[in-house]
Amino acid sequence: MPPSLTRREALGGAAAALVLASCGGSDPAPAGRARPGSGAALLGSLLALEHAVVAAYRACEPKLDGDPLREVRAIVDQERGHVTRLQGLIRDLGGDPPHGRSAEEYARTFPLLGSADDALHFADELEQRQVRAYLEALGELPDLSLRGAAAEIAADEGEHLAAVRLMRGLPAAEGPFVTGAL
Amino acid sequence: MAARSKVDTLEELLAAEARLIAMYEAGLRRGVVPAGVARPILAEEREHARALERELAGGGSRNPRASVPSPALTAALRDADSFARFALDMETEMRAAYVDAAATIGDAELRRGLGSILACESAHVVALRNSLGERPLVD
Repeated sequence: MPPSLTRREALGGAAAALVLASCGGSDPAPAGRARPGSGAALLGSLLALEHAVVAAYRACEPKLDGDPLREVRAIVDQERGHVTRLQGLIRDLGGDPPHGRSAEEYARTFPLLGSADDALHFADELEQRQVRAYLEALGELPDLSLRGAAAEIAADEGEHLAAVRLMRGLPAAEGPFVTGAL
Repeated sequence: MAARSKVDTLEELLAAEARLIAMYEAGLRRGVVPAGVARPILAEEREHARALERELAGGGSRNPRASVPSPALTAALRDADSFARFALDMETEMRAAYVDAAATIGDAELRRGLGSILACESAHVVALRNSLGERPLVD
């Protein structure tokens, strides 16, 4: 089952990947007593990404109004729920969850958003990045209950991506295998 | 998350995909679902079924279990609103089945692949909520 990468992901998605790589995946693994191989480090990377995504949506909000603003705020509420859940899972493994960076630090890494279209395009890239991250985690997390949590959050991220796509006037699904292949 | 074999899990997913395909085909025949909503979803469910069949073909699959049309589907075909709500329930169940499978299957690469279908099923849920005039996300 080779993973597939669409041209759109390769071009458009690269921007978000670059931005978020600098504020998510490269953050340090959680400190504390978590056992190596427990999954705490991977969960810490997902948590760092969630922190960055919440900040990124905050950067999108000034460009939006009406229904798109309301839906983006609903997405942010759910992302915050993911933050809380990941923090709990890391603590359960004996780790200390990583904190997010300041809004100013995040803002320096985000693209300039000149319009609502820019903001929704950025949101689309954010959600694709998140879906990919959780699908990778599904392959790598060692424990069934951790994979269950990752799958549930991936389902949420799939909803977010679809909601953003509808707001952009696109079909809800980008294809039968979102960001991957079977 | 009960322990099941990979083949059992994939066969259950395939049977559920077959039910979804039959549901959308029936809805389109009866004209109770807009083609613009159902046809893309139906095409994606068929792709999921083909992928599961390929995976099963490499894993010593038994014959897929036959299923009979559900009385609930017959009732749902009476009007567009009933059909959309029935389809939303079915897609929500389908997604839950993929959440379970993507966590429990032993093969890491297959878990990722099932996750990519899971994300697509989430999009179907959102598309159906949208077709019902509901908000795409549930608070």
